Amino acid sequence: MSHGADKGAVPVTTGTAPATPAPRAESDPAGVRAMIFLRDRGIFVLWVLLLVGFSIWAQPYFASVNNAILIANAAALTAIFAAGVAVGIICGALDLSIPGTAAVAACTCGYLLTHGAPVWVGLLAGLATGVLVGVINGVISLRGFNPIVVTIGTLSITTAAATLIAGGYTIPGLTDLTFMGTRRYWGIPAPVWIGAAVFIIGTIFLTRTRDGVRMMAVGGNAEAVRRSGIHSDRYRVLGFVVSGVCAALGGLVSTALVTEASPAASPGIIFTALTAVALAGVSLAGGRGSLPRVAVGALILATISNGLTIKGIDPYWGTGVTGVLLLASLAMEKWVSTSVSRRLVATAQASVHTGTR
Amino acid sequence: MTGTATAALELTAIDMHYGFVRALDQIDFRVGQGEVVGLLGDNGAGKSTLLKVMSGAHRPTTGTIRVHGDETVMHSPSDATAAGIQMVYQDLALVDAQDVATNLSIGREILRKGPLGWLGFIDRKAQRKRAQLELDQLGVRTAAPTRPVEMLSGGQRQVVALARSATRVSGERSGVLLLDEPTAALGYEQTQQVQQLIRRMGGQGIAIVLVTHNLPLAMDVCDRIAVLNRGRKVADVRTDETDNDQLVGWITGARPSMFS
Repeated sequence: MSHGADKGAVPVTTGTAPATPAPRAESDPAGVRAMIFLRDRGIFVLWVLLLVGFSIWAQPYFASVNNAILIANAAALTAIFAAGVAVGIICGALDLSIPGTAAVAACTCGYLLTHGAPVWVGLLAGLATGVLVGVINGVISLRGFNPIVVTIGTLSITTAAATLIAGGYTIPGLTDLTFMGTRRYWGIPAPVWIGAAVFIIGTIFLTRTRDGVRMMAVGGNAEAVRRSGIHSDRYRVLGFVVSGVCAALGGLVSTALVTEASPAASPGIIFTALTAVALAGVSLAGGRGSLPRVAVGALILATISNGLTIKGIDPYWGTGVTGVLLLASLAMEKWVSTSVSRRLVATAQASVHTGTR
Repeated sequence: MTGTATAALELTAIDMHYGFVRALDQIDFRVGQGEVVGLLGDNGAGKSTLLKVMSGAHRPTTGTIRVHGDETVMHSPSDATAAGIQMVYQDLALVDAQDVATNLSIGREILRKGPLGWLGFIDRKAQRKRAQLELDQLGVRTAAPTRPVEMLSGGQRQVVALARSATRVSGERSGVLLLDEPTAALGYEQTQQVQQLIRRMGGQGIAIVLVTHNLPLAMDVCDRIAVLNRGRKVADVRTDETDNDQLVGWITGARPSMFS
């Protein structure tokens, strides 16, 4: 279906490549650039195809401003958690403690608000717990333990801590938080604004600032960064902290949406977020990935479930379709990578014989 | 020979013991500014150990290390880096997902001017320009500086790794570059390219120590060759005063040491 059409477009662009061997190594052949574009931007193409497909299929309800807002709102929470997961992975560690961090942040905030603290204190305290969990995760992982196991440990600890803070029950009546939950600004719900802010700031940080670039480099090859005379450990911890803060923020937003803080950490959060991250082609090996793609990954999940709901199709079909898309995107990524390297090898050999370097 | 007065790096009477094993035995070694010195020897002769001593990864049991005439004690590779000694490892250690410019710039990024710079914003354009300039100065034409390293060939990666180290030692005072088998994984054409690069770096005043098994490479590129055999230095000759057979004799131990 949509993916097939996506694939069908490739031979058209790549077919021209062998005819134009690069005269200098300064610019890459057009075919290679097209494939890199597809690898980096393919998910945007996929999303557009999904939108077009559903607009036709689920006429006239799907293609409306209100529905777009619904999709964005549904995607926002997933996207915030996915940002945390993605930053963790890009920096070289899969942070599984995210649901626990979200719960403990929510309960800390809820506890403070029900005990008379002002809203900003509650929110800051919630975010601070995210920082704290991130630092703990990071410092323990630096001792040479596997981050996955470490974060499973902190997942249990934070879940217990959340239950302890909340006294075993959900904390209800947090209506002070609706300003970041169900309230709309210029017609757009607050979680969408928050999600957008997270992604814009995160993207700028990772690609434009020194610390962000170093953080990505640490995820890709910590040894290279260490040999450049940089304390790569700091950036490891920073990755966990960013991930913890995103988790805490997600916990606070979901609390604001339902106006109660639940101490139960739902592991479903992390798997939905991971699906969005994997759809975005963020390599689990670390060092690569882009946040805008992760945002689109979350939007794709929301789009599929929204479209199928409109058509009255059972939600488990949505889960199944997502799985198929995920595997298909893996296959495409693999195919593009191997063809790019094959093509580059081919041009490199050509250049030896033509004498250009 | 250049730099007879003060060598860029000078090791005197280096002993290195691992338990009862004497890995290095009274090694004297020096490399002057702009000089390319080959370090040859069979496996287990002590080349890697000596290189580790020079790069600060190991501390010698006894002996002194002088960098530009100043006695230096190196507790870790970062001390060596601070003293202007850079090691290029066989595994290169490049960040594959980042482009050439970023790889060359990491650790010495150019920040934007003004408030954005205070926030840590990188000036990518300036970095790219500087990377291109540095590559041009070294006379290498690899791919565009915007190309991710993962899309480079083995030779191009080696060139980027060498360039990265070279840019870090060519400050106000030219430093020392330690190369461990820089052409081990390369084909003929690429070996030629790296060889020329080493010569050019020497021409810019960088002192270079080259550890290799590749005898023709050493003969082509080095000003001087030192041979180790079972932890002792058995030869230290100018390349134009020796030949292949002599060197092989020293390496295998068939030829008696120059110093005994």
